[in-house]
Amino acid sequence: MMNHFFPLLFVSVLCMNSFSGVQGRKWKGEGTTQNLESIVTGRCYDYIRILNPAVGEKNCSQIWEAFKNAFINKDPCNILPGDYELFINLTFHTIPPNKSLFWENNQLLVNRFADRGRRYMALADTLFGFIGDFLNWCGQADSPGLDYESCPTVMECENNAVESFWRMASSIYARHSSGVIHVLLNGSADGGAYPQPGFFADYEIPNLQKDKISQIVIWVVDDIEGPDIDSCGAHSVKTLETRLTTLGYDVACTDNDKSVMFLLCLDNPDHSKCAVASSAPAAQRGPISSDRGGSWNKLMFVSFAGFLFRFALVY
Amino acid sequence: MPLQQGSARMRQRTVLLVGIVVLLAALVLAVVLASLLTHGRHEVSPKMLKWKDRGTTKNLQEVVLGRCYNYITAQHPELGDKDCLKIWESLKDAFIYKNPCNITPEDYQPLMELASHPIPCNKSLFWSRTGDLVHRYTKSNQNFLTLEDTLLGYMADRISWCGDPSAPGINYESCPKRNECESNPGSVFWKMASKMFAEAACGVVQVMLNGSAEAGAFRSSSIFGSVEIFNLDPDKVSEVHIWLMQDIGGPQSESCSGHSIQRLVSILEERNFKIICEDNYRPVQLLQCVHNPDHADCRLCTNSTAIP
Repeated sequence: MMNHFFPLLFVSVLCMNSFSGVQGRKWKGEGTTQNLESIVTGRCYDYIRILNPAVGEKNCSQIWEAFKNAFINKDPCNILPGDYELFINLTFHTIPPNKSLFWENNQLLVNRFADRGRRYMALADTLFGFIGDFLNWCGQADSPGLDYESCPTVMECENNAVESFWRMASSIYARHSSGVIHVLLNGSADGGAYPQPGFFADYEIPNLQKDKISQIVIWVVDDIEGPDIDSCGAHSVKTLETRLTTLGYDVACTDNDKSVMFLLCLDNPDHSKCAVASSAPAAQRGPISSDRGGSWNKLMFVSFAGFLFRFALVY
Repeated sequence: MPLQQGSARMRQRTVLLVGIVVLLAALVLAVVLASLLTHGRHEVSPKMLKWKDRGTTKNLQEVVLGRCYNYITAQHPELGDKDCLKIWESLKDAFIYKNPCNITPEDYQPLMELASHPIPCNKSLFWSRTGDLVHRYTKSNQNFLTLEDTLLGYMADRISWCGDPSAPGINYESCPKRNECESNPGSVFWKMASKMFAEAACGVVQVMLNGSAEAGAFRSSSIFGSVEIFNLDPDKVSEVHIWLMQDIGGPQSESCSGHSIQRLVSILEERNFKIICEDNYRPVQLLQCVHNPDHADCRLCTNSTAIP
């Protein structure tokens, strides 16, 4: 019997270990971002003091509390957009007219194009969007702690903390947009430039205020080396144009807007699509040295010529 | 009887007079005390030194800490061993309760050591009078790093700080301008951080200069011209690439053959660096064209371009 004891013990210990490993990771998604409170509070103050002081004074510690209370001590699969209502109320500020920029499938490009809110104010350039951008978070039922191990993905449950945050933020952003609004779509995206379901389709369009919006401008831009899957008047973009026109909006659409193209060209400057017919003088490239050599040569020549002249005079 | 009445009246008058005098004295005393107290209340606020530039950024601690954590957590997880609290404390200790005209590099030494990190070769991008353009470029192209894209520069960008000998040790009202005293917390910080950034550079380094600036693209008085070029290590840095950018539609004040560039080249050559200069480096010019898509210098050669 002793022959079997130790192997059995060994195997059971192994099983316990793997079992506890499975227990540690409840969900399939990444856990809460480390130092979340410092980052959220820091971003709040960074925004109101440096990035956009025009929004006025905000209570950033209260804002952190409201943010946290939206999802801690609750079932992480039962967080609703409305849970962020206090957070939104505390972080809300108006969005300047004609500056709203909606998007799908091109987050980094939009980020660069908006230029920190100077050209456009995308959702990530508002205080409420800026605070949550690129962060991850979730809580757990019956405990005030944040879950740093794992968080549910949208596939595991839709009503998770992060998804509901962005649904709420997108709705508010759309509701308070005005003037000429722009939407940047990716003409090379799989499944079409205008995804359905999607944030723009489900949370932004339904919240646009028709009486505040003068025009909707759609930009469809292909990746520099990407396929031209969608464009104005075709497939999913046509669906979008029809939907907006039916809703009563004045809609315009442009393929491969030049400004955006230039931005895409930064990563691919030698691509044929990025060739510029510049009228400026051809770029001077190549090693250059200081003009000292040239000046010395001139000096020597002049001295020699002077010497010769004097020599000639004497004789 | 009449004498007694007379002296009683006199006593009454005296009492009245004394009473009035006492009342007046009390009134005067009250007024004096009141003015002293209110004056004193104003004097209770710290007698901080007054300067000409904006004061310390409010909520400095939260901003710096948040940026530090943001940088190492969200952007550069390879720096995960950095201790942001210690870094903040070392920044604070560099200037708190000190006269802001007496700051030395030694004050910042602990901070520099805690927050510095290695820079990959061929990525260092220096700049002078092109702050807006160069940072828009590095945001779009992660192949290059300016000082403001390193942890130290990222934390300190666009904020200000200075101390004062009186409590609470930090001056939120004003801070010295460079022309009031050179050894102020901001100037000493950026000079030191720039020196270290140059010392850490290796391989090919780049510098973006402004070909539309008045008084020359390269100035010896700039941080680039006075600190950075003299702290590049010839044993580590092989080449210096100059990108001379002119504003689209702007004055073409200087190009690679210009005087100040010649001066820069001779300084660098003396230190044994190979130099390449390029007018209007294409990728950066493309970025400029984002804002001027219809300018003649930005006409795209594509077939699908709509007729202008």
